[in-house]
Amino acid sequence: MKMFLETLKMCKAEIVKVVKEAEGIKSLLLETSIEKPIPGQFVMVWVPGFEEIPISPSMYERNVLRLTVATVGETTRKIHSLKPGERLFIRGPYGRGFNLDEKGNFLLIAGGYGAAPIIYALHELRKKGKNVAYIIGARSKDKLLFVSEARKFNAEVYIATDDGSLGFKGSAVEVAEKLIAKYDNVLACGPERMLYKIMLKCLELGVKCQISIERYIKCGIGICGSCVLDPKGLRVCSDGPVFYAEELANTEFGKYYTYPPGIKKPIE
Amino acid sequence: MVNLKVSISKLKLKTPILLASGVLGSSYSTINRVIRETRIGAIVTKSFTWEPRVGYNTPIVAYTKAGIVNAVGLTNPGYRALKEILGNIVKNDVPIVVSIAASTSKEYAEIASFAEENGADAVELNLSCPHVKGHGLEIGQDPEYVGKIVHEVRSVLKIPVIVKLGLTDRIVDSALKAEKAGADAVSAINSIRSVVIDVYARKPILSNIYGGLSGPAIHPIAVRVVFDLYKNIEIPIIGIGGVTDWVDAVEFFLAGASAVAIASVIAIKGLKVIDEIIKGIEEYMDKEGFQKISELVGLAHGN
Repeated sequence: MKMFLETLKMCKAEIVKVVKEAEGIKSLLLETSIEKPIPGQFVMVWVPGFEEIPISPSMYERNVLRLTVATVGETTRKIHSLKPGERLFIRGPYGRGFNLDEKGNFLLIAGGYGAAPIIYALHELRKKGKNVAYIIGARSKDKLLFVSEARKFNAEVYIATDDGSLGFKGSAVEVAEKLIAKYDNVLACGPERMLYKIMLKCLELGVKCQISIERYIKCGIGICGSCVLDPKGLRVCSDGPVFYAEELANTEFGKYYTYPPGIKKPIE
Repeated sequence: MVNLKVSISKLKLKTPILLASGVLGSSYSTINRVIRETRIGAIVTKSFTWEPRVGYNTPIVAYTKAGIVNAVGLTNPGYRALKEILGNIVKNDVPIVVSIAASTSKEYAEIASFAEENGADAVELNLSCPHVKGHGLEIGQDPEYVGKIVHEVRSVLKIPVIVKLGLTDRIVDSALKAEKAGADAVSAINSIRSVVIDVYARKPILSNIYGGLSGPAIHPIAVRVVFDLYKNIEIPIIGIGGVTDWVDAVEFFLAGASAVAIASVIAIKGLKVIDEIIKGIEEYMDKEGFQKISELVGLAHGN
């Protein structure tokens, strides 16, 4: 473990490869000297002249970090325009990741680009010899992430698309609800509405459930107060971003989203 | 038996450690958490301004070998939100000091009154934000203006008025004017205006370019300021700047601080550091034969 102050240091990261993963989603492979992240942890990625944003890596292998990025704003659009040889700046890793040492088998549930930390967790779980299934949901088949990669790691794969263009026609939650009872652990990341339903189901069935959630992370180190979950005062950037279902219960999670300067927005 | 209680004007603190303005003090839920999980003596909220402020774009923090430089940008929901925030705080005998960053003396007075009406135990006038134009350091380095603001706030308020000053050449003059105008205590210092440039990006890291340096690097500077203030003013001083352990806190008492506030060390070591510091002070006092914090205050000035 590096000293915490060291994780604040901005590290240059050279892009070695860019891969188109799905419609509107690219992966960047970066050579960097940051410490190996635990799946579910995040790094702060700075594009000089643009913003610094939190991204949860989708893979790490021998100094190569993979960031899988959807275009959601100016900074991510800029990241999509970068080519091998160009640089990004990274600090971290930060926060609490998934606990992969829990006993038993794992059901991994991903919605949209929430698949990034999930596929990284899948790699590491398979390396530990754990039994893993992967549910991936997306709007349509051209937006599905890491289907062949999950198969390559010998995980059982379930697909759900809203338009039915591949796999089950419907949401990942509908697929998950039938499977959760067969597993000891659930790991999930994706749209909050989906995660909330998974949280409730796991609490009902008593299945251990770890959820990676999203809030407006600005400093990444627990000081600025941008990502706080009311009323428990949990800081997503440093107490999370991965939480057990019990920790998220009776918080704003699934109901509303507080972002600076304290505005509450309902979760659609 | 060691007694850690201290008084700052009318404020009664269980322990001499305050949470300084800026960290974890912007929402009721994090404030409640600090009260619940630690032996904190008092909490100073994040600064509230007249209008809501989103704060600066990221990056808002930057690393240096000497500490952290931040430019959060006074992010806050605006002073009207104090009603709801203060209403949701479970104090449990921990005084809540509302920090205010305004741009005119009239604004300071109005926000202070609103804080008092809604349950604040004291206000701290932030006259030293190092990175927001018109909301700080320019005010704090003008002793006449400091006096005017304190006078205006003091005249409308019953609760204690604390003035937070930053590092300027005229900090002692500003503190004297504040005292004369009726301030009940002085907090010193704020973070120190800095710039960090990444040598590969070849650009300043912070979106705001300028930020405030905190952490161990500023501690001896803060101790010097507290030492100088103690020689010149009678009202209590709250020492702030780079405290990372109990030794730094005791150093502040010896220089003349009646209490000590901490902030950035919480980012590095977590909330548990608050109780570690308090326990360290307790053990030091026990071993060295001190019963009350007041016996330590200003002791380094001895004859």
